[in-house]
Amino acid sequence: MTLTHLNQRGEANMVDVADKPESRREATASGYIAMQPETLALLAEGGLPKGDVLATARIAGIQAAKRTHELIPLCHALPLSKVSVDFHLDEESSRVEVSATCRLNGRTGVEMEALTAVSVACLTLYDMCKAVDKSMEIGAIHLDAKSGGRSGDYRREPEASVAPPEAPIVTGEGAAGEVSVGSRCDLSAHCVRVKCLAELRESLGVSELTVPLDDLPTADVGGLKAALIERDARFTRLSKRRVLCAVNQVMAVDATPITDDDEVAFFPPVTGG
Amino acid sequence: MIRVQQAPFDAGAEQRALLEGRSDIGAVVSFTGLVRDFNERPEVNALTLEHYPGMTEAALGEIVSEAEARWALQGISVIHRVGRLAPGDPIVLVVVASAHRREAFEACDFIMDYLKTRAPFWKKEHSASGDYWVAERESDQRDASRWET
Repeated sequence: MTLTHLNQRGEANMVDVADKPESRREATASGYIAMQPETLALLAEGGLPKGDVLATARIAGIQAAKRTHELIPLCHALPLSKVSVDFHLDEESSRVEVSATCRLNGRTGVEMEALTAVSVACLTLYDMCKAVDKSMEIGAIHLDAKSGGRSGDYRREPEASVAPPEAPIVTGEGAAGEVSVGSRCDLSAHCVRVKCLAELRESLGVSELTVPLDDLPTADVGGLKAALIERDARFTRLSKRRVLCAVNQVMAVDATPITDDDEVAFFPPVTGG
Repeated sequence: MIRVQQAPFDAGAEQRALLEGRSDIGAVVSFTGLVRDFNERPEVNALTLEHYPGMTEAALGEIVSEAEARWALQGISVIHRVGRLAPGDPIVLVVVASAHRREAFEACDFIMDYLKTRAPFWKKEHSASGDYWVAERESDQRDASRWET
């Protein structure tokens, strides 16, 4: 991963987005401001000296999103098609939760706009309430989700600290979560041995299986894929462009012939080194 | 020399072994790749390297043979680790010896570029926000394509 805002000399650098394709971009961010229960009650009743706190904070958040490029040095000015700022009064935790969603069809993401909207809405809430409560605290401002663009979709995962399962190092052993697909070959029958490696093994839930050579409509990799898809629709993934294949540990294509007792492995693009 | 192993390696010892008893070598270039604690997500606690036994060694062997065909080299060591590694751990070592520096620099660069795009290793990162398989990088493909003529 590289930081796109730094050039090769490590200097700050605005990314040229002219050649990036336009796509629909959306980002949602959230945060909160915690306050005394009495302050929250006053806010809810509309009893604060500066007036309608939430309406003001909402306008502030929307304005801030539109002016993000004036605040964050390397951000582009974006013609946002939508900005929404919402509040949820959480009496149990005595805080106001703030969330913002920004959208546009364009060449660059809108997560900075959503984060800025949340930040400024929180600051405005502070300003509107500070006459009665100076101990308020702003926290947990973060990106919840973004979609569109080359870096793909992102969704923040809920906080969880589960120990990662021990992944197998060497493929070929029965992995946890493996499911049996079809029957094994008779010893006398002619068979192809199929392995799924790495991410493909986990997403398909299949590590190793055997396919009778007679099941293949054509005796090649393409035929094997067809026979596997016939068994289970999940194997349509094998026809995706980014799935690689090796026959007897040599890189292969759909037209590569397969004979009895061949080992055929399917795997994602390699990421070693 | 090509090795795929779980155990750590000592880059200095491997380089000394490659040069042992040789006085015809004029240059040696060594590259060590390390586990970073920040990749696709921040707070990477560990990574697990999976490989395809058999094909891995064959693929590395082919890459080394191709380097030897392109440059006049006097020795190559490639070690790649598999299994669970922690940030800061060495993952891969490439040591290339030649009579003159240019060959060693270029061959080392070439071997790493091809290793990253052709050898069947896969990284799964374990981060504070969960486990995920590392995605291929377009820049690695671009780097490897520099050597195609």
